[in-house]
Amino acid sequence: MTNPAHDSSTTPGLEGDFPERDEGFAARAGATALDFLRAGLELYSVFVRTLYYVFRGKREKGALVQQMYEMGNRSVFFVSITMGFIGMILVYQSGLQLRRVIPDFTMLGATYLELLVRDLGPSIASLILATRVGAGIAAEIGSMVVTEQVDALRMCAADPIDFLVAPRFLASLIMTLMLVVWASTVAFFAGAVTAHVFYDLSFRTFFSTQLLDAGDVITGLTKCVAYGAAIPIVSGYCGLSTFGGSEGVGWATTRAVVNSSLAIIILNFFISGAAFLIF
Amino acid sequence: MIEFKNIAKSFGPKKVLDDVSFAVKRGEVFFIIGASGVGKSVLIKHLVGLLYPDGGEIWLDGQEISQLDEKGMYPVRKKCAMVFQHSTLFDSMTCAENVALPLRKHKGLKQHEALAEARRRLDIVTMGEFGDRYPSELGDGMRKRVAIARALTLDPEFVLFDEPTTSLDPISARRVDKLIRELSDKLGVTSIVVSHDLVSIFTIADRIVMLYKGCVRLLGTREDFKNANDEVVQQFIHGRAQGPMEP
Repeated sequence: MTNPAHDSSTTPGLEGDFPERDEGFAARAGATALDFLRAGLELYSVFVRTLYYVFRGKREKGALVQQMYEMGNRSVFFVSITMGFIGMILVYQSGLQLRRVIPDFTMLGATYLELLVRDLGPSIASLILATRVGAGIAAEIGSMVVTEQVDALRMCAADPIDFLVAPRFLASLIMTLMLVVWASTVAFFAGAVTAHVFYDLSFRTFFSTQLLDAGDVITGLTKCVAYGAAIPIVSGYCGLSTFGGSEGVGWATTRAVVNSSLAIIILNFFISGAAFLIF
Repeated sequence: MIEFKNIAKSFGPKKVLDDVSFAVKRGEVFFIIGASGVGKSVLIKHLVGLLYPDGGEIWLDGQEISQLDEKGMYPVRKKCAMVFQHSTLFDSMTCAENVALPLRKHKGLKQHEALAEARRRLDIVTMGEFGDRYPSELGDGMRKRVAIARALTLDPEFVLFDEPTTSLDPISARRVDKLIRELSDKLGVTSIVVSHDLVSIFTIADRIVMLYKGCVRLLGTREDFKNANDEVVQQFIHGRAQGPMEP
């Protein structure tokens, strides 16, 4: 059977040389743009409904504490180890570069602390959390979608956003802030030990706050809140939009990690830009 | 009374339902049968707003419900309970908490009141002693009974069963059949059952509708189906591998 798109009789002349490719590209680009727009609107809807239920919803007894435990306590070891090693690597590499330019390490701790509070602490710790917490949220909610538990919730008059996303949102806001503060402290102390061992820098010199100001702290805390909100919203949306079986849950989990990480990077850009203008 | 009028539903390019119309009378045990993937479960999910039709209307006791929003569907879901194919109990809750959830959400009962009522409901399906167990600790048949207790906890007028006997052993399956029949005979509950189980179909059904290629192939009683001169119907109800039905 002849496909009209490939039938030369329907595509006369030169204009018939690329019609399928042009039309296909345009259609694909349009479809992709529409998919992005639809996903953006749905993500926005999840965010707005989550905020509504955070303030107006009836929270399940113990749900918030349980989620805080799952996200916070169970992530402490992973985040601490990772941030500890990253702190050591950063200070070691910074020291190497510093030694080549000006062999004076007195400002190493102060510069590192400013960078850690303003950017590295919240961003790196949140990226680590996005892999663990984001994947967990998407996998759990996605499994509930494919096993019809989310439909069963709706049958019980329980909105899945209220029941599943809102407690995770609140827990993530609180625990991301606490974990970032803890992880940054670990990274700072690990850096101090590294500077002492490799560059013979005293702890007193390293523990300097002379470059740190209120703007750095406010910027860092703003990032904690923004990332803490973005991870459960993006991951919850990925989980709720799962389709298919176990393969769909796998895709949802992957999308949650990738999109949460992207959200953190993009938010970092805008918050850093705004902070630069304000402070 | 429930009426499906010219229901159509597609998923992407795949047309699953194409002009399906029939009515279910009050108090009857009504079976929806057909090959896998023909749209039986899809059809009953339209009734409780878990899916929305691309075309057609659904009437429940004189009210058109197919365009209601999520909140508008809450009264419908209170009236029409659903027992899902795989029971779909919430893993993080005990059996009693599972049964109590609709009481708390739909009726606004306090946790301790809802749990007390849930235990009473579990007793009815002989699962009272398992109220504090988690679903993962129970077998398929027991989970199914808890799911039925959860569905019945709001005293619904209509209950939708999605393949209630699938994955159950024959004895558990017949117990579920008996329960569905008793719901109709003793409480006047209307049951709409999606099933492939020929034993169930020809034991407890009052009326049956067969879907084929997105349309109603035959609507009638058990006798109508046994005596039908339709090769497609005969192939299905006798479970023959060879015949006119397309795979």
